[in-house]
Amino acid sequence: MKWAQVLGIVVLLLLMALFDWPKMSRNMKREKIAYASLAGMGAVLAVLLVYDPELPGPTQWLQVLYQPLVQIMEKLIVKGG
Amino acid sequence: MLEKGKISAAQIGKMMYLAVTPTAILSTPAISFKFAGQDLWISPLLAFSGVLVILIALGFHRLYPGLNYVQISDRVLGPVIGKTVGLALLFYYMYTTGIIIREYGDFVAGAFLPQTPLLVVTGSMVFLCALAVRGGVEIIARFADVFIPVFSLLFLLLTVPLLPELKITNMLPIMGEGIAPSLSGSFILQAWYSEFVLVSFFLPFAHNADQAKKTAGFSLLAVVLTLVASNLLTLLLLGNVTGNYTYPFLIVARYINLAEFFNHLESLFMVIWVVGAFVKICIFFYVTVLGTAQWMQLSDYRPIVFPLGFLLILMSIWVAPNLQYLSYALSTTANLSALTAFLIIPALLLLLGVIRKRMGSKA
Repeated sequence: MKWAQVLGIVVLLLLMALFDWPKMSRNMKREKIAYASLAGMGAVLAVLLVYDPELPGPTQWLQVLYQPLVQIMEKLIVKGG
Repeated sequence: MLEKGKISAAQIGKMMYLAVTPTAILSTPAISFKFAGQDLWISPLLAFSGVLVILIALGFHRLYPGLNYVQISDRVLGPVIGKTVGLALLFYYMYTTGIIIREYGDFVAGAFLPQTPLLVVTGSMVFLCALAVRGGVEIIARFADVFIPVFSLLFLLLTVPLLPELKITNMLPIMGEGIAPSLSGSFILQAWYSEFVLVSFFLPFAHNADQAKKTAGFSLLAVVLTLVASNLLTLLLLGNVTGNYTYPFLIVARYINLAEFFNHLESLFMVIWVVGAFVKICIFFYVTVLGTAQWMQLSDYRPIVFPLGFLLILMSIWVAPNLQYLSYALSTTANLSALTAFLIIPALLLLLGVIRKRMGSKA
């Protein structure tokens, strides 16, 4: 079933590009590069999530970053409440 | 200028109200009850961060009129560090939008459409919002104009029939353990209030920005009153079981039974939620799109709306593996990081900006 999901993602991105691409005029090079890189990032992330839905996300990264503060906060709040 | 639309200060106020309230009504009664107990209605009154960020946003506007704070980070910190901070902020906006979309989807799928895949619920909403965002800031502002009366009317329709059922004794003793529990409860709420910093993104488009101080303040007051009302209503009706539900306000709406005739008014709450979440997602989506277009120095933001929408849907899946994890993150990591991105970084930027201006004018 995974290949079907990947196929679905590709079709969706192609439809999106077919809709948006003709709207950009010939000299909007910057916009076209931005479009392609954002859509590319989306495609990569989508395929990664299809194959590994448990992929550590931004919440987990932030959790590592904020762990010490969260501990201080939980202590303070338990004391207060 | 990327955006040619013009809005009014009153519309900014209405947009901000709808950008903060919907998700706050949904989850704050349970969260503040966990910390503040029967004093949960005092917590929303302590809206320090809301006042602070409005002052910060107005300060930005006075210092650099016509620029929002992602552009200001570029101006204040120089091109290299400024771009890095800008990218981090944009990524954070994407992350927040992902969380909001996920909350919306989890609630709709969990409470009303249990057979529908989450992706269908969130995907259709993001598609709708993408169309509105492509329309530009004027369209979103008008949605806020149209939906504010709907939102308030339905909120009243849900609260007024319950008034005879309320038990005032549920709120006693008031401040039985002092102010500390209410303060702890309000700490989580500060993240919601700090979302008022988005005013900074809309001030440059206002034709009467000098009025914004009044309208943003009024909007904050309205948010505070709404949250006090919804928290109080939940408490007076449900008493000590408030903390047992993920969405206490939904239980409150289910409770309404007028003359054995009007039942299942939770569908009205659903309308409030969909309308509110729509405007909220639109505003965060728009800010992400606009900021990204400015960061990449594009001539138009319209082309990148759909690819970014696609990324936002992915983000809504990526933020948390399940609902339990999401609600845990919301009261810890997501809360602290929101305060960093919406309150602390803007405050530091404003401080640096003021210092730079002073130095510049002396030299």
